[in-house]
Amino acid sequence: MPVYRKPESIINTAGYCGGCGHGVIQRLIAESIEELGLQDHVIGCVDIACSFWSQDAMNFEFIAGPHGRCASVATGIKKVRPDATVYVHAGDGCSYVIGLAETMYAAIRDVPITMIVVNNGIFGMTGGQLNLATTLVGDKTLSSKAGRKVETMGHPVDMLKNIANCDVAFAARGALYDARHIDETKRFIKKGFENQMEKKGFSIIEVLSPCPTNWKLSPVEAMAKIKNENEKVFPVGVYVDRGGKD
Amino acid sequence: MSAEYVLMKGNEAIAEAALRAGCRFYAGYPITPQSEILEYMSVNMEKRGGVFIQGENEIASMSMLFGAAACGARCMSSSSGPGFDLKQEEISYLSAAGIPAVIVNAMRYGLGDGEITAGQDSYWVSTRGGGHGDKRILVLAPASVQECADLTYEAFDLAEKYRNVVEILSDGAICQMIEKCYLPEPHEHDMDKFDWTLTGKPRDARKNKAYNLSYYMGYEAYDKYMREKIEAMFENEQRWESFMVEDAELVLVAYGISSRVCRSAVRQARKEGMKLGLIRPITVWPYPRKAFKDVPESVKGYVTVEMSITSQMGEDILLATEFKKPLYGCLTSKELPTVEGIIDRCRDILAGKIKPMEVL
Ligand SMILES: Cc1ncc(C[n+]2csc(CCOP(=O)(O)OP(=O)(O)O)c2C)c(N)n1
Ligand code: SF4
Repeated sequence: MPVYRKPESIINTAGYCGGCGHGVIQRLIAESIEELGLQDHVIGCVDIACSFWSQDAMNFEFIAGPHGRCASVATGIKKVRPDATVYVHAGDGCSYVIGLAETMYAAIRDVPITMIVVNNGIFGMTGGQLNLATTLVGDKTLSSKAGRKVETMGHPVDMLKNIANCDVAFAARGALYDARHIDETKRFIKKGFENQMEKKGFSIIEVLSPCPTNWKLSPVEAMAKIKNENEKVFPVGVYVDRGGKD
Repeated sequence: MSAEYVLMKGNEAIAEAALRAGCRFYAGYPITPQSEILEYMSVNMEKRGGVFIQGENEIASMSMLFGAAACGARCMSSSSGPGFDLKQEEISYLSAAGIPAVIVNAMRYGLGDGEITAGQDSYWVSTRGGGHGDKRILVLAPASVQECADLTYEAFDLAEKYRNVVEILSDGAICQMIEKCYLPEPHEHDMDKFDWTLTGKPRDARKNKAYNLSYYMGYEAYDKYMREKIEAMFENEQRWESFMVEDAELVLVAYGISSRVCRSAVRQARKEGMKLGLIRPITVWPYPRKAFKDVPESVKGYVTVEMSITSQMGEDILLATEFKKPLYGCLTSKELPTVEGIIDRCRDILAGKIKPMEVL
C-alpha cells in the first residue's frame, strides 16, 4: 500500500490559490531533492510572481530576484557555489516573456542548473493578463478580453523547440492533469536534478499547470482545459536528453 | 601597497585593484569608454580562480551579479551611459536585500547614446539614481589612476561594512588616462564569513533568504535600519580634498577630470593675483558638506566646474553652503574645461559680469 507523507523540506503552507499547479510542482521538487539526498545543500531561485510563495514554504535558502531574471540569478549563484544544488521555480511570464533572454542564455551557456517553468498560459500574480508566449489563440485574459488575436498578438510559441536548438542537457514538458502525468513530470524534474548532480549541464522542465483563479474555471475544469486544449499546442514529452555528455 | 609602481590606465587600475581586493565575480557588457575593465577581467579573473561572464546585456549581467553577491562573493560590474541605465533595476534589488556590490560608471557625455567621450552628466543618475525606492548609493569619484586603484580597493570594504552598493564614478578621461600607480596588496576574501549569505545550508540550520529586508524585518524595524544606515554613511564617509581655500575669494568645486584642471587653474590664477581655491569632492554621495565649513566667511562665491549643460552638482553645493553664498557655473558640456577658460570665467565673475545661477 502506498504511504503518503509530506516531504520534510516543506515546512509551511504557501500562498497559492486552491487548485493551483504551483503547489504540486513545489512538492515534486521537494520529493525529487529528498529522494536524491540533496536537501542539505540547496539554493532555490523564485520569481516575484506566484512561485515566490515557495520560499516561505520550503526549508531551503532562497533568492527572489527581479521579475524575469531567475535564470541569470541562478547562473550567478551556481558559478560561485558550484557544489550547491541550484534550481529555478518560475512562471512562463518570467521565463519566456520578460526573461526570455535570460532563459535562452542560461541554455546557450549550458549552465548546470535545474530550471522549472510553470506554463499556466497567463500572468498569475498580476491578476490574469495575456502571456505572449503561452496564452492560446482565442483565450480570454484581462488584457485580451475578446480572446487572443493572431493578427495583433501573434501565436503562442513552443519555447522548448527554441531551447532544443541549444546544446543543453535536458528539456522536457510535463503536465499535472492525472496521476500518470504527475508521475511523468516528477521523473522529468528528478532527471533535471540528477543531471545537476552529475554536472551535466542545463536542464529545463516546463510544466502545463492550471491557474483556476485567473482562468475563471473550477480546478477540475482547469485540468480538463489543459488536457483538451493546452496540451495540443504544447505537447508533453522529452525534447532533449543529451545523455552521457559532460 | 607595493613598493614598485606600474603605469596603468584608469580602467585597468580599477580592474586590478578589484582583483586585489578579492573580487572573484565580474559580469558586464561592453561599452566605451570602460570596456577595458571587462577585457582585463576576461584575461585575469580566471587566473585568480574567479568567474568572468560577458553578459547578454547589462540587466542580465547585473542579475548574475545579484545571485553571486547574495552568496557572499565580492562582485563587480561596470558600464557607462545607456549601459549604466540598464543596471538600475538590480541596484534597487541589491539595495532592497542589503547585498553589497561595487559598480563602476565611467561617464560618457550626453543623452541617449550620447558620445563616447568624457562627460560628467551622469552625476544625477549616480547620486540620485539606483532605480526606484528609498536608498542611497555610496559614490566615490576618483581623480587619478592612483585613486582609481585605491578607491576601488576600499569600495569592497565599504560595501560590506554597510551592506550597500558602492559606485565608482569615473569618466571617459580618468578611465582612459595612463599614470603611475602603486597597487594595493592582494587580499583573499572569505565568502563564507557573513551570517546573511546564501550558502545552501543543511536541513537543521537557519536558512537565509535574499529578498527585501523589509519582508523579514517588518517595515518599522526596516525603516529604522535604513534611516540609521544612511545617516551613518552620511556622517562617516564624506571625503574631499580642499586646496587653497583658506584665503580664497572664489572657491571652485569640481570632481573627477574637471578637478584636475581646476587645481592647475588655482595655481595659475594665484600667479596672476586672483585668489582661487578648490574643493574636490571624493565622495559625491555622501556629498562632503563638511568641506564647506572650512571656507572663510569672506569668500565671494562658489564656482561649480562640470562637464554638463546644466549644473548637476550645483544643488549639492547650495545645500552644503545653505544658500548663503552665490553659486556660479563654469559648465563646459562635452569639452574638457581649460585653465584659461576657468580663469577667464572667474575674472568675469569677480568683475560682476556674470550672474549667479538660478536655473541649475
Ligand atoms: C519589471 C517588472 N515588471 C512587471 C512586474 C509585475 N509582475 C509581477 S509577476 C508578473 C507576471 C507573472 O506571470 P508569470 O511569470 O507567468 O508567473 P505566475 O504568476 O503566472 O506564476 C508581472 C507582470 C514586476 N514585478 N517587475
Ligand atoms: S493566481 Fe493562478 S498561478 Fe497564482 S497562485 Fe493563484 S492559481 Fe496559482
